[in-house]
Amino acid sequence: MRWLGIVIGAAFLLYPWLVTDDFYARTGADVLLAAIGASAWNILGGYAGQISVGHAMFFGIGAYLPLLAYSHMGLPPVAGVPLAIVISLGFAIVVGLPTFRLHGHYFSMATIAVAELVRIVIGNWDFVGAATGLMGPAVSRTWLDLSFRSPIPYYYLFLAVLAGLLLLTWHLQRSRMGYYWRAIRAGERPARSLGVRVARYKLYALLLSAAFTSLAGSLYSLMVGFIDPESGFGILRSVEMIIIAALGGAGTLFGPLLGAVLLIPLQTVTNSLFGGGGSGLTYIIYGGIIVVLARFEPGGLLDLWRRASQWWSRRRETVTVRHAA
Amino acid sequence: MKRLLVASILALFASAAAAENVKVGALYPLSGNAASAGAQTKAAIELAVEIINGQHPDVKGMPGTGLPGLNGGKIEVTFADHQGNPSTGQSQALRLIQQDKVTALIGAYQSSVTFASTAVAERYGIPFVVGDSVAANITGRGFKYVFRVTPVATDFAYNYLDFLKDVAATGQPVKNLAIVYENTDYGTSIADTLRKVIKERGFELTADIPYNANTTDVSSQVLQLKDKKPDAVIFVSYTADTILYMRTLKQLDYRPPVVIGDDSGFSDPAFIKNVGTISQGAVNRSAWDIGKPGSVTAKINELFKAKTGFDLDDTSGRNMQAMFVLADAINRAGSGKSDAIRDALKVTDLKPDQLMMGYKGVKFDDTGQNTLAATYLIQLQGDQYVAVWPARSATAKLQIPYKGW
Repeated sequence: MRWLGIVIGAAFLLYPWLVTDDFYARTGADVLLAAIGASAWNILGGYAGQISVGHAMFFGIGAYLPLLAYSHMGLPPVAGVPLAIVISLGFAIVVGLPTFRLHGHYFSMATIAVAELVRIVIGNWDFVGAATGLMGPAVSRTWLDLSFRSPIPYYYLFLAVLAGLLLLTWHLQRSRMGYYWRAIRAGERPARSLGVRVARYKLYALLLSAAFTSLAGSLYSLMVGFIDPESGFGILRSVEMIIIAALGGAGTLFGPLLGAVLLIPLQTVTNSLFGGGGSGLTYIIYGGIIVVLARFEPGGLLDLWRRASQWWSRRRETVTVRHAA
Repeated sequence: MKRLLVASILALFASAAAAENVKVGALYPLSGNAASAGAQTKAAIELAVEIINGQHPDVKGMPGTGLPGLNGGKIEVTFADHQGNPSTGQSQALRLIQQDKVTALIGAYQSSVTFASTAVAERYGIPFVVGDSVAANITGRGFKYVFRVTPVATDFAYNYLDFLKDVAATGQPVKNLAIVYENTDYGTSIADTLRKVIKERGFELTADIPYNANTTDVSSQVLQLKDKKPDAVIFVSYTADTILYMRTLKQLDYRPPVVIGDDSGFSDPAFIKNVGTISQGAVNRSAWDIGKPGSVTAKINELFKAKTGFDLDDTSGRNMQAMFVLADAINRAGSGKSDAIRDALKVTDLKPDQLMMGYKGVKFDDTGQNTLAATYLIQLQGDQYVAVWPARSATAKLQIPYKGW
């Protein structure tokens, strides 16, 4: 198991040097960015079991602030990142306190409503570029603008952030808080009756999740250099995080990363192969996979892997037992 | 079987011996909610390339046709689907540049995607010809490889007011204007520009009415107009709301003296079908006019209709025009090298008779914007639109005031 981890880690570190051109490096950066977003969502949606469909609101705030700092004050976009996180945390508290009174689908619906509301407000607000959106520095003024021609610097930046996020998640899932979250996911009422302060720990999960989703948004706009209401706050943004986390395995450490590694290249490859034909085949294949997965493997691919390895070790045990006998 | 093999080997040699082809990448939304516009545009660009490569010798006069400058080389277009997503637009632009080795790009319909993907083209030094994205600041970012052929919102606004000035010269008083616009991206951005230009040209804005395009009742907006009695009303509307406005005007029996529609809803075939008979005299913009039978534009339309079953529309036409502009530059550059194509684009100078669209020419300023971009104004007379302005390209006489029903 350990050598597998080392090989995978090395593959991530060396990937940009193993591929021949910038398009693949960019796809790699896209994968890592999607993994950051989905892993951030996973803290609240996976571990704590609160299915938010409104995370685009944090992503959008994260994406807008750097470009606002640039277009209104001429600052390097990266200067807006900390402020974006602070605003996202503020939003998380304001949105979290009332919506956490709701359960299950009602919570999900409330988060959709809030995110859509934010999207519409942004789309009509001139200060933030209204429906047209905002641009970053197209050509780097100083290196602080983080506007690179090659996708490779973005790749390593994203890899570092993802590593930090996964390390934190790993630490948390083994901590007391991680157990509380899982207890809440299993059932709020029993968790409360056992003395877990449900509201507080749900809020902690939301705050962490919002901060990192906001960071994912900032990284997006640093790389793409452009943001508009649809690509920042659109509902598809939230849905993408959920699909990726669910595909890999929500509530597991590496599930979102696995989901991103599979889904983003699949999206890119189907689009590159069939997109030019204009037949819309991309979405048919993409949608088909999601339907099959939801029907047969709702626990995600890591769950499949876990069951497969359990089956394998059980088989080995029986074999050993039989030999012993 | 054997003969087929020999033939294909021969064909292979023949193509290897021919001059080098120039690869152009085309970025359009071929799926997602703008897919239908993307598909039409794709067909239009394919047709343009057929004409450029000399497959339709009866279409004469388009610049670059036959590509004499390339010594037998042809233009090859590779299409990529950006799904209306700016980030996908960037990665597909990268793919076209790095894997398909295109040396020029064309695109990209949504302004958002054009913003993002032109930045990639600029970083890699690949000329990008913008066919139809109208957001103001796509040009003017200091880019050296971005060229925009289409008119933008300010061009349209100036055209409307020039037109109204001409109308005023005929004795019809035009001083007080009203703008009625849907309250998202499209409507508000055009309205902003109109407001500025109206002030600049010394007209009065007496009514400024935003509304929600999904609304099912616009009587309060129409009553507001009826109360303010503007000399002309400019509508910036999508399809369903345009139809609603025309019906409500009739219900409340109000005829503004001049009705101008900004493309979109007024250009949708559903508009004429549903409310054409009660919207007689509505003025609309279009840089595309089919023209008289036998003209180059009529022939292009015929070919397009044979290919797709539809008449060519304004959006696809503007993209097709952009492809001709690019082909002209490639032909003059005499090579597929990106920098040579860019240098040729920079000194583009096309006259109106070399264009299929109603521009006054194509000549780029330092920001890459076509300074001669313009549009026709067309008027609904009977069951079709006819060109009425400017006078030099008019095919029918302007009917003022608005007749309605």
